[in-house]
Amino acid sequence: MGDKSTPLLAVLQLLRKYDLKGTEEILRKEANLGDAEYENLDLPEVELASILTAHHTESDPYSYEFAYESLKKFVENSLDIYKYELSTFLYPVFVHMYLILILYDHNEHASKFLEKFGPEQEDYYQDDLKRLAMVENKEQIKGNELAEIYNSNKFQVQLSRDASTQLKRYLHEQKSSPVIINIINNHIQIDIHDGPGRTQAQVKATIGGLLGEASRNDNRAKVYYGLLKEPDIQVLPPPVEDEEEAEETPDKPKKKKAKKDNIFMKKPKSDPNAPPNDRIPLPELKETDKIEKGKALREASKRVQLGPDSLPSICFYTLLNSGQTAICADICDDSTLLAVGFNNSSIKVWTLTTNRLRGMKSAEKLQDIDREAGDVLVRMMEEKDRDTCRTLFGHSGPVYKVAFDPFKTMLLSCSEDSTIRLWSLQCWTCLVVYRGHVWPVWDVRWSPYGHYFASGGHDRTARLWATDHHQPLRIFAGHHSDVDCIQFHPNSNYIATGSSDRTVRVWDCLTGSQVRIMTGHKSTPFTLAFSTCGRWLASGAGNGETIVWDISTGLPTATLPPMHVAPVHALAFSRDGTILCSGSLDSTIKLWDFSLITDESTTEEAGANNITQKEEKFLLRSFATKNSPIKNLHFTRRNLLLAVGSYEGSS
Amino acid sequence: MSDAELVYGSSFTVDSMKVIAESVGIGSLGDDAAKELADDVTYRLKVIVQDAMKFMHHSKRQKLSITDIDHALKVKNIEPQYGFIQPDSLPFRFASGGGRELHFVEEKEIDLSEILSAPPPKIPLDVSLRAHWLSVDGVQPTVPENPPPLSKESQKLESVDPITKLSKPATKDAVGKPVCGKAARLKASESVHVKQLATHELSVEQQLYYKEITEACVGSDEGRRAEALQSLACDPGLHEMLPRMCTFISEGVKVNVVQNNLALLIYLMRMVKAILDNQSLYLEKYLHELIPSVSTCIVSRQLCVRPEVDNHWALRDFAARLMAQICKTFNTSTNNLQTRVTRLFAKALQCPSQTNNESGPSMVASMKESEKTPLASLYGAVQGLAELGPEVIKVFILPRVRWLGERVEGALSGIGGADRLAAGNLKHQLLKVLAPVVRQLRQPPDLPEDYKREYGYLGPSLQQMVSKQRASPAGGSGSGGAVAVVACTPPLLPSPSAAPPAPAAQPAPAKTIESVASRNMVITASPTPQSPAPSTPPPQKFVIVASQQKPQQTQPASGAGHIVVHSSQPAIVRSQNVQSVVVTSGPAGAQPPQKVVVVGVHPSHQALPAASSAGVSQVTMSLAVSSSLKRLRYIIHSRRCFL
Repeated sequence: MGDKSTPLLAVLQLLRKYDLKGTEEILRKEANLGDAEYENLDLPEVELASILTAHHTESDPYSYEFAYESLKKFVENSLDIYKYELSTFLYPVFVHMYLILILYDHNEHASKFLEKFGPEQEDYYQDDLKRLAMVENKEQIKGNELAEIYNSNKFQVQLSRDASTQLKRYLHEQKSSPVIINIINNHIQIDIHDGPGRTQAQVKATIGGLLGEASRNDNRAKVYYGLLKEPDIQVLPPPVEDEEEAEETPDKPKKKKAKKDNIFMKKPKSDPNAPPNDRIPLPELKETDKIEKGKALREASKRVQLGPDSLPSICFYTLLNSGQTAICADICDDSTLLAVGFNNSSIKVWTLTTNRLRGMKSAEKLQDIDREAGDVLVRMMEEKDRDTCRTLFGHSGPVYKVAFDPFKTMLLSCSEDSTIRLWSLQCWTCLVVYRGHVWPVWDVRWSPYGHYFASGGHDRTARLWATDHHQPLRIFAGHHSDVDCIQFHPNSNYIATGSSDRTVRVWDCLTGSQVRIMTGHKSTPFTLAFSTCGRWLASGAGNGETIVWDISTGLPTATLPPMHVAPVHALAFSRDGTILCSGSLDSTIKLWDFSLITDESTTEEAGANNITQKEEKFLLRSFATKNSPIKNLHFTRRNLLLAVGSYEGSS
Repeated sequence: MSDAELVYGSSFTVDSMKVIAESVGIGSLGDDAAKELADDVTYRLKVIVQDAMKFMHHSKRQKLSITDIDHALKVKNIEPQYGFIQPDSLPFRFASGGGRELHFVEEKEIDLSEILSAPPPKIPLDVSLRAHWLSVDGVQPTVPENPPPLSKESQKLESVDPITKLSKPATKDAVGKPVCGKAARLKASESVHVKQLATHELSVEQQLYYKEITEACVGSDEGRRAEALQSLACDPGLHEMLPRMCTFISEGVKVNVVQNNLALLIYLMRMVKAILDNQSLYLEKYLHELIPSVSTCIVSRQLCVRPEVDNHWALRDFAARLMAQICKTFNTSTNNLQTRVTRLFAKALQCPSQTNNESGPSMVASMKESEKTPLASLYGAVQGLAELGPEVIKVFILPRVRWLGERVEGALSGIGGADRLAAGNLKHQLLKVLAPVVRQLRQPPDLPEDYKREYGYLGPSLQQMVSKQRASPAGGSGSGGAVAVVACTPPLLPSPSAAPPAPAAQPAPAKTIESVASRNMVITASPTPQSPAPSTPPPQKFVIVASQQKPQQTQPASGAGHIVVHSSQPAIVRSQNVQSVVVTSGPAGAQPPQKVVVVGVHPSHQALPAASSAGVSQVTMSLAVSSSLKRLRYIIHSRRCFL
């Protein structure tokens, strides 16, 4: 490509980009460009800009500072009803001005611009600005994660119709300096909504995403957040111990039955928001699984009702001598097993009851067992080989998450080595290695019905898997940064993901499409939890704040005050859905009145995202541990809270 | 480097690039090249650190580690840096000099052969699991596994400013207690009670605990006692019961000293030890109760029924160690604890001739042998001082060794079996304590004559001891504990010129007065002309003690009132007496009025709130100590009266 024709090619590409075919034709004729060159027209964006710099009218570095100050003044002087919405403009304009300054080689001006206006941007953007400030010349824009995200995506801003009119009028007045207009045209997506401008609190509730707020259109799709109809399970005759009790007090069985009936009465009610049971195929229950379900129901009938006046008891499991090596923990659904993933690639499984962990008999011995026998499951286990703790080796990097399947026969783990492994809890070996993620896998979760599981990782994708496929069934792509946490909806039809781009998204497992995008986090969400009723989603973030989202609307219901001073890494709902509890690296567990949170949102249905100032009262109690950051929280079926943390020594 | 650059991170300088280039053998790196490199390296490092942060977060840590950097490099398809491990954190050392400041990681040279020959290091402990109750029905139990419900800082805040406790009755964050009962009622009645004081209610469980613990501590079951002491030393939630515990101890000591119950006194001291060992308690508030009790157990005239048989010396030794521990832990520049404790013991060692200037020569002359400070008390005082370190021994014991020697000589040649035993113990103790100090002080030619001349009766024995220690090199310098040197002004010479502007600044005058008082108190039988002299003969001996020092003041209570030993009344009366002494018998006629106030503060603690808080606590402390001593003697005297 000749030097002479390069600028012309660039202009041609520009013309094509804006679809100006007439001009393109004429230019081609006049410049006498060959077809071959024309076909290969594919200059990278950065180069294009640098070529055009010479002809660029916006290359005066001083105009940027001036333009930004004038925009700032306009925002400050506008009426209060527009002010807060318009102020969301400042940050994207600021970022793109900085990037353009760098792009046109005004590095000195760029850093001065950053010094001058950087500190006055919102607190939650400061981290991003620090990352952006690393970019100090044109070459570094290429390959910088953040700069590329900003350049290749449009920043979303929501404005009311009136506010956008104001803005348009202002931009018309500023005709002399097209800087801002260009930035808005190229890099900012304005989402106009009818109705009055939002208040400061309303704006603050949803702002904070890496690329601005979610647009309303993203959240239009209907989400079936209701629970599935439970298959009828024959409640087994109560085991011997219960019978003895029954004999002692003849009144008891009746009461119990009444209670059980209650539980059954609730479930079959057809929920209008529930998806059809066959919307996604669910695995058929095996006999043993049915027994397990029956047990769960029986346990549930003995559940303690929790509320602000009857707080749960907490049993805390401390990992001693682990230092900082223990990373993650999980407790299985019936609270009998605890698994911990370590920095040194190993996984340890402890039994929390007196039942020891048994291995399976060797293959020769297994042949001798009568497969038709009723107690075949018991017989196939080794008699002598029993332990309170077993270690699983296989990964070659830190284990970031371990998860028990609902029937506690299998364990999933994901690791820095970009694999997910499925382990058997009967023969204590690795069954499958799922390779698919390219980079470290941060989180993996089972579907509440088993069979499916979902994972998210550093490659910015979330994936849906089935245990019998070695490749993912769905790949959910859309996040602009790492997928840090993932969670299955209780009805198994949806998956929620949280990402470093500070959005929480909900995906439909059936179609693979994104059905909700929720912004409002000011820091990376690290953990997600669905409420037991399926309507609410809680997410805990790196700055210690927890947000409760309403899945039906995709708006934040409540932002719990940031009482935690360190990242929240564990969230759990009590089994009756009245208490939300959060555990953080600051070694505290806090209990929140979840029924109050949801009550307030339903009574204030009109202004659904109106955040109450009385957030303080949501907090019920806070419990500190002895320098043991919380790794996991789990409610037993009877509503006892189990917490896991590792003691990090006296500081 | 501008401010904003600090905000958005720093960068490598051209100079450091050049230094690094030199270190890898590139001598002449151009300025431009260095600048390019510096920018590029800065950028790359920042990107790597940013990525490493992700790994840190997902490892649920708040501190970046080397493995995080390795993983970040791996994600970028760069070979990780092998061979760097980091045990815990990287301590950066700082060095400056020649106008340059430098941070560096200290790397020691390791001798490989040493490592090879050394036994293999121990295998680290395996990870284990332990369960405990973090909360039971919403209340956090105070077990050692849980953090203390109230941190030391908040305990301190509460003691300094009790209002803070009231202002937040629903202490959701600090204590996991349900909002009910009194706190809730307080909240409901909306700040009508403005002057409501902080509540000190104990829950039923706490009352039970208190009962169990105190019973176990003084009971006969050694196993239970060990458990109780263990609980006292470890449990984090004791702060609410602490005032009761301290009162229990101090009252217990008062009663058992009178009854000469050695065993119980030992048990009580072990309780003190356990409480001192508990890391979660803010004890400063209760020292005024503990210190008198402990000092009583050190210097009391008699601690057991049969002094000739029972080993009360062990109790004195143990209590002296406790006192040293208290001094070491709680001494601050404001409470001057160690100085005051030292004075207290030094007073007991006072040679009577030194008191002449206050009490007049006639009194000394009339003093009988039996009225001198008992040998057991002397032993205690010596032991108490010895525990405070060699410097204290040098300043306070060594100058009095001649007089002490006389006492020992007198007792050894005397007839009383108990006295002889006590003198023997005292002598042994003195030699043991003094020998290392003397060895440090004197030059090698140890001549018995010199020693005799300088140290009197104890000289020759001391000389033997010292030369024996010199012979054995391992003898060392005795207790090497580096206890701070205490103010060395002779405690019995009140400086008339000293008119302290603030009582806190100079506790010495107040001390002097006390010593005068306690000194005088020993002199019981001396008849004084001005004494108001109540008519009843038996208490008279005692009343003289009290009234001797208060010539002008009319006695507020009758003589009989003084004999009530356990009520707090006598202490108050006493201290008023002390106050009057200051006025009358001080050497300087125009005593500054502050002194009077200062001394008067303690007994009526609550009556004089005007004094500055520092002053109050200080004086309270000193007077508490002295009043306990006085009370002790008082008790002893009264016992004698009844016998």
